[in-house]
Amino acid sequence: MDRIDMHRLKQGEVNLGTSIMAVQFDGGVVIGADSRTTTGSYIANRVTDKLTFLHDRIYCCRSGSAADTQAIADFGHYYLQMQAQVLGSAPSVLTAAAIMEKMCYQNKDQLSAGIIVAGWDEKAGPSVYNIPLGGGLFRQPWAIGGSGSTYVYGYCDATYQEGWGKDETVNFVKNTLALAMSRDGSSGGCIRMCVITKDGVERKFIPGDQLPRFWEGKEILGEATQKPPAAISAVSDVAPMAVEV
Amino acid sequence: MDPSFRIVPGSAPKAASVAQTSNSLGLHDTLRYGPRTIATEVKTEGTLKDRLQNWEETQDNLKLTMMRNTHGLHAPMRILMERNIVGVNPHMSLLPQTNLQLDILMGRDESIEPVDVFAGPLNGPPLDIRHDMEKKHRI
Repeated sequence: MDRIDMHRLKQGEVNLGTSIMAVQFDGGVVIGADSRTTTGSYIANRVTDKLTFLHDRIYCCRSGSAADTQAIADFGHYYLQMQAQVLGSAPSVLTAAAIMEKMCYQNKDQLSAGIIVAGWDEKAGPSVYNIPLGGGLFRQPWAIGGSGSTYVYGYCDATYQEGWGKDETVNFVKNTLALAMSRDGSSGGCIRMCVITKDGVERKFIPGDQLPRFWEGKEILGEATQKPPAAISAVSDVAPMAVEV
Repeated sequence: MDPSFRIVPGSAPKAASVAQTSNSLGLHDTLRYGPRTIATEVKTEGTLKDRLQNWEETQDNLKLTMMRNTHGLHAPMRILMERNIVGVNPHMSLLPQTNLQLDILMGRDESIEPVDVFAGPLNGPPLDIRHDMEKKHRI
């Protein structure tokens, strides 16, 4: 009884089972994430913001244990502030990604954290770096992560084209996350996106009822997936919820 | 200072193993190392104790490593040198001592922590000064 089992503590941690992604386009990057944080089967937070500020034009998306990723992101933010002060200019995305990777790798026995770092800097332009569970660093034009990402690798491979502009990239991120959220139990809620360009960071929010909808099995489930008749919606101005059988 | 980015203290390895004390037959060598004790080979203390004891040191080490990366190889050495300079105390008193300069350098001059309230002597005025001095300076 005098010993505390750290492994059991880790199992009960608040988990960012999640869908995160980042895509690079010509003038910047688009990063996006779902908004669900779970503790076991309880959704601890259904409007989480998983897009974390590291520096003015550098953001990271977090997946894995919420506590671990918050600690790493805090230290990354602290380090980049010091770096910016010493250099006198904004740090590069590679610097940010490298510091996150160092921390993930050197603490690999104690942490479970998968991070995607993305942003824009003067030297390299837009870049996306994927740091999966073991602490490797991989630069890619687009990166997906989290538990929901396994369901959408095929969709991303089939759909991604180089040379897209901002709107097509935003659409790609929106569709991918919506598909991941509809199949993964630990992802859901709404979609939060950031578009990072040289001129600034623009946040986008897509509420849960405006997500793009794909095949929902109308042929099998029939009437139940249709919206309720107009009479109800005429009475009150609350949007009726589709009922599932 | 150990240039490492460890955020949290790692778990210490097991104290001893038969491999270290084995003779040519592969068994524990009693003649050389004394009787075998299982207590040294099994890690009985939990990881929580090590984690809490090494916590402050690990956090401080992380900050020093970041300072090394941003400001240069000299930076942590200078900081540690300053701490040593103010930390040296020629007085050999057994009464509770405060070191304001060290508190300022460590960044705890503006905070009140449990150690400030509870750090009185456990056993009242010292009864055997020589014994206490020996314990303090580990002779």
